[in-house]
Amino acid sequence: MREPKIIVVGGGLAGLMAVIRAAEAGVPVDLFSIVPVKRSHSVCAQGGINAAKNLKGEGDSTDRHFDDTVYGGDFLANQGPVKRMCEAAPGIIDMLDRMGVMFNRTAEGLLDFRRFGGTLFHRTAFAGATTGQQMLYALDEQVRRFESERKVKKYEGWTFLSAVLDDHRVCRGICAMDLKTMEVRTFPADAAIFCTGGIGAVFGRSTNSVVCTGSAQSALFQQGANYANAEFIQVHPTAIPGEDKCRLMSESARGEGGRVWVPRKPGDKRPAKQIPEAERFYFLEEWYPKYGNLVPRDIATRAIHKVVYTQKMGLEGAPAVYLDVSHIPRETLDRKLEGILEIYEKFLGVDPREHPMRVFPAMHYTMGGLWIDNTNQATNVSGIYAAGECEYQYHGANRLGANSLVSCIYGGMVAAPAAIRYAGGLDKGCESVPTIVYENERRRQEQINDTMLHAEGTENPVTIWKEMGDWMTEHVTVVRNNPDLERTDAKLQELADRFKKINLSDRTSWANQTLSFCRELQNMLVLARCITRGALARNESRGAHYKPDFPDRNDAEWLKTTRAHYDCGTIKFTYEPVDTSTIPPRARRYDAKA
Amino acid sequence: MDTAAPGGGNSGRKVVVRVKRRPDTREEPRWEEFALDWRPHMNIIICLRDIAERPVTRDGHATTPVSYEASCLEEVCGACAMLINGVSRQACSTLVDSLEQPIRIEPLTKFPVVRDLVVDRSIMFENLKRMKCWVPLDGTYDLGPGPRISPEVQEKYYPLARCITCGNCLEVCPQVNENSDFVGAAILSQVRLFNAHPTGAMHMKERLAAVMGPGGVADCANAQNCVEVCPKQIPLTESIAEVNRQAIREAVFGWLLG
Amino acid sequence: MSTHPLTMSASKTDDQSAFFWRKLHSLSGIVPVGVFLAEHFWSNSYVLVSPEKYDAVGQELQTLPFRPIIEAAGIWLPILFHAGYGFYIWGKGKSNAFAYPWMHNWMYTLQRWSGLIAFLFIGWHVYTARFLTGGRSNFVTVHDDLSNNLYAAFYLVGVLAASFHLGNGIWNFLCKWGLAATTRAQRAAAYLGAAVAVSFTLAGILIVYSARYNFHPFARYIQQ
Ligand SMILES: Cc1cc2nc3c(=O)[nH]c(=O)nc-3n(C[C@H](O)[C@H](O)[C@H](O)COP(=O)(O)OP(=O)(O)OC[C@H]3O[C@@H](n4cnc5c(N)ncnc54)[C@H](O)[C@@H]3O)c2cc1C
Ligand code: SF4
Ligand code: FES
Repeated sequence: MREPKIIVVGGGLAGLMAVIRAAEAGVPVDLFSIVPVKRSHSVCAQGGINAAKNLKGEGDSTDRHFDDTVYGGDFLANQGPVKRMCEAAPGIIDMLDRMGVMFNRTAEGLLDFRRFGGTLFHRTAFAGATTGQQMLYALDEQVRRFESERKVKKYEGWTFLSAVLDDHRVCRGICAMDLKTMEVRTFPADAAIFCTGGIGAVFGRSTNSVVCTGSAQSALFQQGANYANAEFIQVHPTAIPGEDKCRLMSESARGEGGRVWVPRKPGDKRPAKQIPEAERFYFLEEWYPKYGNLVPRDIATRAIHKVVYTQKMGLEGAPAVYLDVSHIPRETLDRKLEGILEIYEKFLGVDPREHPMRVFPAMHYTMGGLWIDNTNQATNVSGIYAAGECEYQYHGANRLGANSLVSCIYGGMVAAPAAIRYAGGLDKGCESVPTIVYENERRRQEQINDTMLHAEGTENPVTIWKEMGDWMTEHVTVVRNNPDLERTDAKLQELADRFKKINLSDRTSWANQTLSFCRELQNMLVLARCITRGALARNESRGAHYKPDFPDRNDAEWLKTTRAHYDCGTIKFTYEPVDTSTIPPRARRYDAKA
Repeated sequence: MDTAAPGGGNSGRKVVVRVKRRPDTREEPRWEEFALDWRPHMNIIICLRDIAERPVTRDGHATTPVSYEASCLEEVCGACAMLINGVSRQACSTLVDSLEQPIRIEPLTKFPVVRDLVVDRSIMFENLKRMKCWVPLDGTYDLGPGPRISPEVQEKYYPLARCITCGNCLEVCPQVNENSDFVGAAILSQVRLFNAHPTGAMHMKERLAAVMGPGGVADCANAQNCVEVCPKQIPLTESIAEVNRQAIREAVFGWLLG
Repeated sequence: MSTHPLTMSASKTDDQSAFFWRKLHSLSGIVPVGVFLAEHFWSNSYVLVSPEKYDAVGQELQTLPFRPIIEAAGIWLPILFHAGYGFYIWGKGKSNAFAYPWMHNWMYTLQRWSGLIAFLFIGWHVYTARFLTGGRSNFVTVHDDLSNNLYAAFYLVGVLAASFHLGNGIWNFLCKWGLAATTRAQRAAAYLGAAVAVSFTLAGILIVYSARYNFHPFARYIQQ
């Protein structure tokens, strides 16, 4: 049998896991990433990773994890894959532990677990407040080992532009651009696994890294890959608003006992410390006595919105609430939360161990992503696989905290063997594809670059991007109204028109970041429409998708996966049933005592 | 409110920024000066973004946006290291209000410049490879839990695992320059980390062999600048001394006792 | 494209000779060079007792059996190695104490300059005290030399440089041999080094003063 050739695009947790699995199977892999993989966005994950190891004598089980995940996702997730992921999670933690991830420990030297949103169990393993960083580094080190054994070849500083599709619309490789030399090149492969992460930049300012543009997903979408559940965007309740980025204040702050409150008297000007207990409104604890501050993110976010915008109780009238850890002993904070408290201190110059932090919700995560099947992480385009945040599979309408890291690793573990099986089963590999197929794709991409470089318009791409972000954040995040969504869609079309009249302030052909940004922006504009239109169509409220005009979940009509197709510039939606084979849908309520 | 809207509502206050530009590796560097609108909590990345949105110098000349590296914007990816007012640090966590103006921004000097503020730090990753900085693993299939580790040990070594490969410690090290191939503090600290891990220690001998080779631990001359600039406050001088101790032990006893 | 050296140093054979020489260099500064310096200060401090005692001790040392061999193996070769390899190390570093004026960074820079000064001084000292006197240096010749202001000043500079270099070298040695591995131990080592540097400086100044001004504070030891 011929040796399959695999490409992995994206070196976050999902991508690196896929690479490791392929290298272990003895299949050579080419790994592409915009940033050196060690700088991928996964480093930002703070709080931890879920697995029902049940080391706290609480009777936790993978079934409970499965139930929490499906329930937390408002039953929109396909249950088969979620169940398998939850079952694999304890083994994943063990693997990471063996790789040397510096997880926090109990006195007995076992892994310590903390509580996270949407569950009543201590199920989240963590390494200080930099769990994602520690995990990414562990995988990165393993990949480096394979690299030194020449089983992996890295292309860091390359950006994916498009898939190379043959006449039968089968993926035969990729087309990528070197961000230093600006060289456009094609790379033949039998299968490509996409692990290109989140899409935060579509919303301008989010908690994501700046490289999370969703450009790769969008490019694939425009080449025929379906994009599912785009409208489900998670807004994290507690972020530090900032002009360049909204820095996350992880759920772990609440997991360790942090409390959210506002003064009972609207506009109270006293410093937080001087407001007595009785005059503080711990609204999450009052409204959701059972879960308290650890309700799922969509619930907490809407509660904060309600307090700020409906009840007008934001701090000094501003859109902000307190997240308070100042009652927790300093020593505990430094041991368990140092990494995140440091961020607050560094960027705002205030010590959160002393003063309650001022936070507000910010765009955080996309539940939606490339459509994949329920068993193999395979997209609808033959030869293209996806894993990690860029696919839609595991979180339904709302992701539970600390579940993403599991889904990334699990997705990578499944995708690589599946891609290898597929590649091994091909009659003819990429070597038999006529070179003209690659030539044409390369020329097409170079053409796009040329057009952009020589555009003689007046529009500044950064301005277009900012406007898109502002519109998306205002109308397509926490609260959605159909008229606003219509307006946003029109605005996005206007921006797309204006994009045709851009003028690149940099026309050089060496490390031209403006050019690569423009290419990303073009793709972001498409993705933004996909999200907006998806939200417009879904007339119900489910998980993170909330329409005041349709405040209830509507299983009869909308217990369906949204599947977006791109067809010559228009976006069409079809809907397909959700796998609810194990847990019958039930009402999702966190306020009840039961 | 915590943030002012970009561009809007400015107080007339300006931030003057001088950037060392170098379009590519063939051309000589030149300085460009920009005057930007001041806003609260402004950091260096925001300055560079302002320039990208309106790439016009202070004296009105159109120019190109400044090329730079940044990703996480919360000092955890390591991408944005540069010289700011002559000191090597992370641009995203350097606040304008803490700096004297005009603010001078330059690329790191110990790494080859690609363009403007972008430098090539791949040598650090190569050296991690050379020093075998990983835990040897039989495979990623389910082999049960890893070794037990006491909380004390975890608390001692977790800080080392937070190194973001930013290169600040190399930039300020007098021993790292074009005459030497010293790998620098970050890499040696990783060697210590992996030598300390129960499974990682199984590769200790190989790692020490590499560390005793060219550019290894002996090239440290104890200027101890690394600890002063490390944004993650990693106890680098302890790491280096510890690796020294391990290497000496290996050299003396390895030689005496085989 | 880039010919920057940092791009090229990745693949290396594990040649450990540099490690060996570096560690030997660090050690040689303590043993035997540092020990010799201590001995030298010690025997010279007899001048504080009396010129006669000083000459007697000098005589004693000059009549050691196998003296040339002991001197060559224990003093001159180690000093030449320590200095020579030290210059080589200096050449590979690039001081940046002005850009990053932290204490240890200044120490790094001063260690190099003090080494150079001490080396020049030693060369000159050997030349004047050994060769010009034909190996018959005694209190009278030293006293004559030190009565010259320039000579005396150079002596003081040499003493200071050597003392600093040794004190800082002790700190360096303890770190580089991993004997002081924690921050706390390194701080203690720094104090030790400082104490050595200060003691040697004071002793050295006293000796120079004693020889120049015929000042013998311990002369009463003999009368008792
Ligand atoms: C602040 C923050 C905190 C979080 N905390 C947690 C947590 O505690 N627990 C949890 O479970 N989840 C958490 N998450 C979510 C989680 O971090 C992410 O979902 C996850 O890291 C995504 O990993 P990934 O492998 O899919 O992608 P990423 O880590 O985003 O990696 C994407 C990769 O793709 C590459 N790439 C992208 N586009 C291209 C292109 N066009 N060409 C080439 N390469 C490309 C990038 O260079 C990168 O290597 C958090 C998220 C944020 C924003
Ligand atoms: S040790 Fe510190 S300064 Fe050096 S690369 Fe790591 S984080 Fe940066
Ligand atoms: S952008 Fe990641 S460290 Fe500054």
